[in-house]
Amino acid sequence: MISLALIKYRVKKHPIWAILFPFFVILSILFIISKRDYNILGIDPASIVNKKWAHEIEKTWYFSFTNKYKMPKYVYKEQKDWLFSDHVEDIIPENHIAHYDLNKLHSTSNAAVNKEHVLILTPMQTFHKQFWENILQMSYPRELIELGFIVPRSPSGDEALKKLEAAVKKIQSSKKNERFAKVTILRQESPSFDKLEEKERHALEVQKKRRSVMALARNELLFSTLGPYISWVLWLDADIVETPVNVIQDMTAHDKPVLAANVYQRFYNKDEKKDDIRPYDFNNWQESDIGRELASKMSDDEIIVEGYAEIATYRPLMAHFYEPNNPITEEMILDGVGGGCTLVKAEVHRDGAMFPNFPFYHLIETEGFAKMAKRLNYEVIGLPNYLVYHIEE
Amino acid sequence: MLSKFRNSKVKLPWIIGSITIISIWIILVWIHGISMLTPWGLAYGIISSLTHTRRHYVPNFNHIEGVEFYDLNNYIGHANGWQRKDRILFCVPLRDAAEHLPRFFKHLNEMTYPHNLVDLSFLVSDSSDDTMNTLLTNLQQAQSQENKLMRFGNIEIFEKDFGQIIGQSFSDRHGFAAQGPRRKLMARARNWLGSVAIKPYHSWVYWRDVDVETIPTTIMEDLMHHDKDVIVPNVWRPLPDWLGNIQPYDLNSWVESDAGLALADTLDDDAVIVEGYPEYATWRPHLAYMRDPNGDPEVEMHLDGIGGVSILSKAKVFRSGSHFPAFSFEKHAETEAFGKLSRRMGYDVIGLPHYVIWHIYEPSTEDLKHMAWMAEEEKRKVEEGKIKEFYKRVWELGFEDMRDDWEQERDSILLNIDYTILENNKHGKIVVDWSDDGDDSDIVEAEVTDQQPIQADFDPNKN
Repeated sequence: MISLALIKYRVKKHPIWAILFPFFVILSILFIISKRDYNILGIDPASIVNKKWAHEIEKTWYFSFTNKYKMPKYVYKEQKDWLFSDHVEDIIPENHIAHYDLNKLHSTSNAAVNKEHVLILTPMQTFHKQFWENILQMSYPRELIELGFIVPRSPSGDEALKKLEAAVKKIQSSKKNERFAKVTILRQESPSFDKLEEKERHALEVQKKRRSVMALARNELLFSTLGPYISWVLWLDADIVETPVNVIQDMTAHDKPVLAANVYQRFYNKDEKKDDIRPYDFNNWQESDIGRELASKMSDDEIIVEGYAEIATYRPLMAHFYEPNNPITEEMILDGVGGGCTLVKAEVHRDGAMFPNFPFYHLIETEGFAKMAKRLNYEVIGLPNYLVYHIEE
Repeated sequence: MLSKFRNSKVKLPWIIGSITIISIWIILVWIHGISMLTPWGLAYGIISSLTHTRRHYVPNFNHIEGVEFYDLNNYIGHANGWQRKDRILFCVPLRDAAEHLPRFFKHLNEMTYPHNLVDLSFLVSDSSDDTMNTLLTNLQQAQSQENKLMRFGNIEIFEKDFGQIIGQSFSDRHGFAAQGPRRKLMARARNWLGSVAIKPYHSWVYWRDVDVETIPTTIMEDLMHHDKDVIVPNVWRPLPDWLGNIQPYDLNSWVESDAGLALADTLDDDAVIVEGYPEYATWRPHLAYMRDPNGDPEVEMHLDGIGGVSILSKAKVFRSGSHFPAFSFEKHAETEAFGKLSRRMGYDVIGLPHYVIWHIYEPSTEDLKHMAWMAEEEKRKVEEGKIKEFYKRVWELGFEDMRDDWEQERDSILLNIDYTILENNKHGKIVVDWSDDGDDSDIVEAEVTDQQPIQADFDPNKN
């Protein structure tokens, strides 16, 4: 009402208001009526009509978000975790351009003569002196051998590492022609592969877990060490303590993509009172119909492993095919291999065959690797009469 | 105040003890952050730092030739890798790519990630053009830059031929039938490169195609700061105007669907499902179509299959065995199967729907035809214009233009057929005006002998 009095007063004082005021009133009424505003309904047709894609506003459709959203600003100041880091500065070659022609890389039956490099890979939980001596007695030229080890992140790994360090130092600081071409030692990053107790080893679930972790360790080792010169990869377990002197020459002579030797164990036979041998590694096998049938009934996450009563596969195991009187060069076709002493052409690994840490066609680790090699159209062969020996426990 | 302390019954060991505890706490807060202020956080911090500081034995192979030791735990990759000196392995498979290399090296040079931390690896395979020499000259240029900070780390070039199954033109490569074998072959090439190039000291692996048109200079940081195991941006491509300007390009990044799984079950073991072809309708949500140009580029999305234009992954993913399957893995091959395999091995596979990089536009055979047609049409129109011009001139020269004369004469000619005049002259006379201008000077009248009115029209009823 005050405003009304005010208006009256103003009109009296300045008569021009008498003209202007009604004019304004009419104008504003017209404006309100004529204005099409749907904001009350939450619809805003005008804004949709006027809506512009970001690229239209910015005259570019490449990085459209810069207007509304900002990418984070990056700071390039170096950060160091000085308290909890045992990081050692690496010596990494800089500013050089290396050129490798992998077309010239071959793996042939005459490996030593053709100077083909062999990479011996060993996941090492414990360092056995006999294992190292066995490697040293191999007759394949050392300048063509590269070694790769991976040790678990655990106290037992530390112990193995210390012994390995001493052994490696000794040989690599000896005369030039006695040294190995290259030695790479890795501390693993994935969960430690030796944490499980011996007695638990045989429970099926534990077995699955153990082999899955083992597969990760093998892959880490393989893909960190497989360099451009390697023609062959020999998987040799840390507890293989006796192989023939010419093991690399003998096995490469077969010229097979994947070739497994038969792993046996020496022991003292109390019944017959004499030294004897017995089969040790049962992961080298041929697939059986029963095994296939079992697999077809399993769910995706289950695995088949050898040596369990609850999964009787009746697969022909290479360990049982040893005939002392037959030639050592005899071959048999396999579907699963173990990691005891297995020679692989580098191209098989380079094509992608690795050790699955998950059930791959119900197989895991080395057996899964054999399956994957087969999926890549490589044949998997075993040598039933060619023995290597596991350490006596 | 000090004297007050001395006089009080508080004993010195207590003071020293509490000071040490508080300073340890302060250090913990400083290192591990604010969460240490809560009791739970503190307990966790103490336990974790105890287990972390449990140093493992580090051997010393200084001065011993040919022996290397690496603790792989030092190379797991950080969200701020550029501050932590994380080395990236930059993998580029090349095949007949000479024309793309200059653009690629321009992008490379503009990259803001510290160049000395980037190791470049190239695989040159089955190239019939000058890829190798172009690559070498470009690399030498890059490595001899004045500013040493602009030079890259270790550079390795690998050559390996796999044999060519199909041609390299756009339509050859993108035809449906070619996809399975082509994918498996490319997967082999990628695996050969990845397995030979990755070193124990790499923390990240970046896969990149050369034929990228535009990419942010901070691409590494943009992808890395998400701290995911495998991460890909969205890939689109620009198109010519007549095709609608822009288009999603990379359809290999997708989320698995029920239809996709059902389809996979019906196929045999060696079959390869490829996305973006009507033969395999999977109804999968594609990363490419999730793009909102105004969306937040930081948005993440879980994926099952991924495309290979630009993949940043932690090195541990490849080190632990994930790769580009060159066989049919769960009915997929190459990068799509890499996504699936990584998921299977328990890694995160992430896509960024609103963060886009732009692939170059290569016309397909169809597009080329259309473009040829458009060029033809252009030419034809020019020709036609010329001919019209010529005709016009011929017309003007060859014919006398009588239109103005006709305008004038028309009135005179039509003068005597005015029907109304005939009508009014019923009484026997026909009047014809012979004068030129109609001024009644030369009028001839004719006697009509017949008294019948003159029929102007023909009457059909009469005979």
